[in-house]
Amino acid sequence: MPRRRALLSERDLLQTMTDTAAPRSELRSQQARAGYLFIFPAMVLYLTFVLAPVIVTVVLSFAYYDPQLGSHWVGFDNFKRFFTDPRSVQIFWNTLRFTAMAVTGNVSVGLLLALALNRAMPGWLLYFFRLAFFLPVIIAAAFVAIVWGYFFQDAGIFNYYLAHLGLPTVRWLTSAQNAMPSIVFMDVWKNTGFFMIIFIAALQGVPRNIMEAAIMDGTSPWRRFWRITLPWISPVVFFAIVYASIGALQVYESIWILTKGGPGDATRSMSINIVEQAFGSFQIGYGASVAVVMTVVILIITGVQLLLSRRLVRY
Amino acid sequence: MFKLNRRSFMLSTAALAATSGIAGRAVAQSDASGTIRILMNGGDADLANTNNAIARFNKKFPNVQVSVDMDPISTGWGDYVTKVLGEFASNSQHDIYGTAIETFQTFASRNIMEPIDDFVAKNPNYSDFAPALFEDCKYKGKTYFVPTSWNNIMIHYNRDHFDKAGIAYPKTGWTWEEFREIAKKLTIKDSSGTVTQWGYEVPNQNFFIQPWLFSNGTGALNDDWTASNMLDPRVAESLQFLHDIIHVDGSAPIPGTDTMDNQYLAGQVSMINRGHWVIPNIRNAKLNSDVAIPPTKVNDYTVVGFGAIGIAKGAQNMDAVQAMVAELTGPEAEADVAKSGSSVPGSKAAAELPEYLAFPPSAPLFYQTLPHTKAVPSPANFQEVEKIFIRYYTAIMADEMSIPDACKQADAELNDSFARLKASLS
Repeated sequence: MPRRRALLSERDLLQTMTDTAAPRSELRSQQARAGYLFIFPAMVLYLTFVLAPVIVTVVLSFAYYDPQLGSHWVGFDNFKRFFTDPRSVQIFWNTLRFTAMAVTGNVSVGLLLALALNRAMPGWLLYFFRLAFFLPVIIAAAFVAIVWGYFFQDAGIFNYYLAHLGLPTVRWLTSAQNAMPSIVFMDVWKNTGFFMIIFIAALQGVPRNIMEAAIMDGTSPWRRFWRITLPWISPVVFFAIVYASIGALQVYESIWILTKGGPGDATRSMSINIVEQAFGSFQIGYGASVAVVMTVVILIITGVQLLLSRRLVRY
Repeated sequence: MFKLNRRSFMLSTAALAATSGIAGRAVAQSDASGTIRILMNGGDADLANTNNAIARFNKKFPNVQVSVDMDPISTGWGDYVTKVLGEFASNSQHDIYGTAIETFQTFASRNIMEPIDDFVAKNPNYSDFAPALFEDCKYKGKTYFVPTSWNNIMIHYNRDHFDKAGIAYPKTGWTWEEFREIAKKLTIKDSSGTVTQWGYEVPNQNFFIQPWLFSNGTGALNDDWTASNMLDPRVAESLQFLHDIIHVDGSAPIPGTDTMDNQYLAGQVSMINRGHWVIPNIRNAKLNSDVAIPPTKVNDYTVVGFGAIGIAKGAQNMDAVQAMVAELTGPEAEADVAKSGSSVPGSKAAAELPEYLAFPPSAPLFYQTLPHTKAVPSPANFQEVEKIFIRYYTAIMADEMSIPDACKQADAELNDSFARLKASLS
């Protein structure tokens, strides 16, 4: 039991130090002070850049705020306006719809790509595919969206080839029905490489002996995936779903560049609405109230996902 | 219509000569010292014009340091207003602001700009400016801005396309129906049915759309910009006209988020609604292009918007700041605007310079139509009003919403916005 002996000797040493150097309580308080000093910079950063903005946003959500014209408390008026505005339902629904489609697309395509690449193949080919699928992740979303905008235009590249193939052209971004799926398509192309990488890492952790035993028992690949692989990587899948959901609920730039939220309100997300209200229309208090509602929605969705994970995720 | 007669020409020339003489004389240097911070907007040409003005200013005020920041207005005037208000809120404002009519009421109603009636009255250069421009620079009877340059929306058309189709160039007084027929004739499809040349670009921006409302004797807002006018049947009629150009005639694509300037320069669109700012690009592209007054329904009114200079409330070194504004709006600066072609200069004399009139062939039309223009509706809640209007407009043009429903909902939203504005101003 060498480890236990070492622990005891550390305790003895500490006791000796305490007895000889200073009273026990004074040492503890010294240690506490040192601890606080160590975490002080991180706490200052956290308070300044995380907690303070959150508190200010919550406070602003109950106010009419205009530095030049004057500010005053409005109680729950901002929230009342949000919940009675018919546009809110549409914008809220857009956000949920985008989240559902983008999370499903990003996680499932990422997993499929990871499964496809998690097999024996020449090293250079493996790295080529990984790089090819990961490359869109490192390109700025604003740039990607501009390029896809040219693809999706009514007189764009996609419709050019559709017309030359004798197929009917599609209003990718100017139709309320197609605009959101088009944006999701671009989002999946852009982000699924990230999920592919974390799934590849997770798949490499699946014990080879269990998989080999299943193969020797004649288990089909489909059954091996559902019974061994997926349960084994389920914590990572859960992380991917939560991570993708939080990102999708805050979607802004790809929608803004492709459609500016249109046509009409067909693709307007809650983040776009917040920015438009707070910084475009100077309704800072109202924008803050929408931000608070969105934060609560994200918390609820993440909470539901955590509850579901207790049943579905095997740690 | 404004026409240049001999009398006005002599007066303009005399004014230009007088002001040039003032500028040309050796001016006593001022001992004033300090700094002036300027926030201007636009691109490289605007920055060059500003730097020229600063160089002239520093000859008179050698001890005053002037720094200039530029905002490209790449995301519209709403973000510019947010930026300026943020500067005032954090007490880090510039001394001089270049801005546009869309922001005037927002800034003036918040009392962040200095009234400059005395300064304007004392400056002889401004007598050469169209009085209508100064009228739009007023808020509650006080002048807050000096106009520098302006843009009225005209129809820019590709003359080669007209020649090829055997269509006569548009004449003043052409009608909506004539315009629509021409747009149809100019639209060309290939064998697969793909449009290779659009007759017209139905505009996607608030400013460009206005002539279609004004020429029908209406507007999205009432005349004093205090309430919605969306329920006026003539608004619906104008919107229906544009909708039909897209969905009935197939002469224009559904407006997207980007303007089709590049397609016009590439000869893929025959007619677009734009101001003077596209002229340098058209000239560089060597496009055989000209301008026409927008077609008439009940009148030939078009829209005008303009840039201006204002002084921040509480700016230090007021004498130097006013001298700097005088340079930014003086005859040399106006001549720079005319030569760059980025806008129509505020000064009439500058708008008669040969460099300005060299292109397009009907260049004088820009200035001549000024009496037949209405300012782009720019209430203090312009940023919100514009967004509401464009949101419903794009839904109509994409055929996603019926015109009566869209007008009704836009009307309700606009009036809610005006009610909020009224409450905040009171």
